[in-house]
Amino acid sequence: MQTHYSDISSLSTKYPRTTGSLFLVYNDIVYSQLWTDVQVLDLEPCTRAAIRGCRRLNANNTHTQIANIVPCTLSELVSLEWLDNAFVSLDDPPEVYLAITSDDSSIVYYKISRGIVKPPL
Amino acid sequence: MSLIGQKNKRGGFKGGARRNENNRIYVNPLPLVFTDPPRSRTKSILSLLGISLASLENPHCEGILDVATNSVWLTNTAHSMVLWRRGFFGKGNLSRSEPSWLARQINIRRTGGNQMTSEELTAKRRAERQQFKQDRAKAIQAAFAEAEVAFETEGRVVKVALSGPSIPSAATWKPSESAKPPSIPDQSTTSQDADHPVDEEEPPLEDMEHLQLTFAEAWFLLWTMDCLTILDAQTLEPMSIQQIWSTFQSIHLNPMLLLDPKSQPSPKLQLHFDNPFLIHYVAYHHYRSLGWVVKGGIKFCVDYLLYKRGPVFSHAEFAIVLCPVYEDEDDKTTSPFELQNTSPFSWSWLSTINRVNATLQKTLILTYITIPAKSRISPDVLSSPACLSYYSVREVVIRRFIPARMRD
Repeated sequence: MQTHYSDISSLSTKYPRTTGSLFLVYNDIVYSQLWTDVQVLDLEPCTRAAIRGCRRLNANNTHTQIANIVPCTLSELVSLEWLDNAFVSLDDPPEVYLAITSDDSSIVYYKISRGIVKPPL
Repeated sequence: MSLIGQKNKRGGFKGGARRNENNRIYVNPLPLVFTDPPRSRTKSILSLLGISLASLENPHCEGILDVATNSVWLTNTAHSMVLWRRGFFGKGNLSRSEPSWLARQINIRRTGGNQMTSEELTAKRRAERQQFKQDRAKAIQAAFAEAEVAFETEGRVVKVALSGPSIPSAATWKPSESAKPPSIPDQSTTSQDADHPVDEEEPPLEDMEHLQLTFAEAWFLLWTMDCLTILDAQTLEPMSIQQIWSTFQSIHLNPMLLLDPKSQPSPKLQLHFDNPFLIHYVAYHHYRSLGWVVKGGIKFCVDYLLYKRGPVFSHAEFAIVLCPVYEDEDDKTTSPFELQNTSPFSWSWLSTINRVNATLQKTLILTYITIPAKSRISPDVLSSPACLSYYSVREVVIRRFIPARMRD
């Protein structure tokens, strides 16, 4: 059972309260979404770990894009200050994915950017 | 063939063969199955007296309590399959619903991939839809550019039609070769695979997926169906029903206590009528008892979705928002929990949530659950599931009224 958590163990022991959402999102990203070079980062101001990896943009993995994910659970309260801290700690990327997990293991991802972003045509 | 076109032609209904197969696979609505012995004289005499010889088949599944994810995990594939096929309990943590991750991986390896899993079908449909939108946008842009040229060179004003033979529509558009679904390898990789046969070189696949049951689902299977045993994650010993009842409540009170195996659980559990586990279980049990298949509704901004027979047969008809109501308002101020939707909601909240669900053809139901007052009933009753009879459930159906259209 504990072996399931081995990939994320160092930061899950540091932030036990957010282990559940981190585990669900990490596994979804690695095994279902098939991102590559996935690493777990310490996101101290949000008292949790974040996930960074290369997102696949096509089938053959020739186009990828580095993306950041901040996991949380449905029962947590998220504030603008909290999100701002996440952006700052992740070196101000153009966008951050907020991954919200529920007890049935469903994950809903929200793409969050600073300000108004022009949608792609 | 285009999946978008297919869907339009058949109005989104499943084909007859598929429906028959689903009727066969998902014939049992609950994990417990009554099997009738062959007809005999004793049986007909007994049935006259109202006695049945039918025997009960109980699948006896085993799950492990996972405190970090507030859930119970089933890692035995046979057990997961039984609970999914008989009543649609749980969800595969790497799949949309039924645990199909291993089958998907095997499919990818086999590269033929004739039988697409539902996730792959969705990916294909989305890729096609995106391609269709791009093609349409391009065609519209071209039409505008043409009109611009006509105006500049001939001074003619052309009104650009946004539909017509040159603009693709959902009915006429056909996927071109560029609209490849992400998980289906194209010709170049297939030929590479022919050079390096896949069969023996790759290590065997380990199933990384489990069936995840919420506490409400787990308690329903354990307490009302008696077909689930929950093991302690540390000792792998079966937990007693009393232990499980108090653990499900105390995880919501103090998750840190249970995450750290060194700390001892408090000798006396604090009991609260508004424990989130109890509120969710009351709602879950209410709808399951009335024959609905109840699934989580996070993707629709609601607490639960109700399916008539199950997600493979039809879309959910109803979306449930739980609104806990304190019988005694004082209990709310002294509560250690911050339950959602306990205070009066705003019109904008209702409008937003109803808009989302109306677009998705779901009827919104506000489910009010009355939390018994501590001053009236002693919290000691919470030490056993008998306390569930003190809760009451009331429903309000919300439907937007459009005066110009709704004449009936």
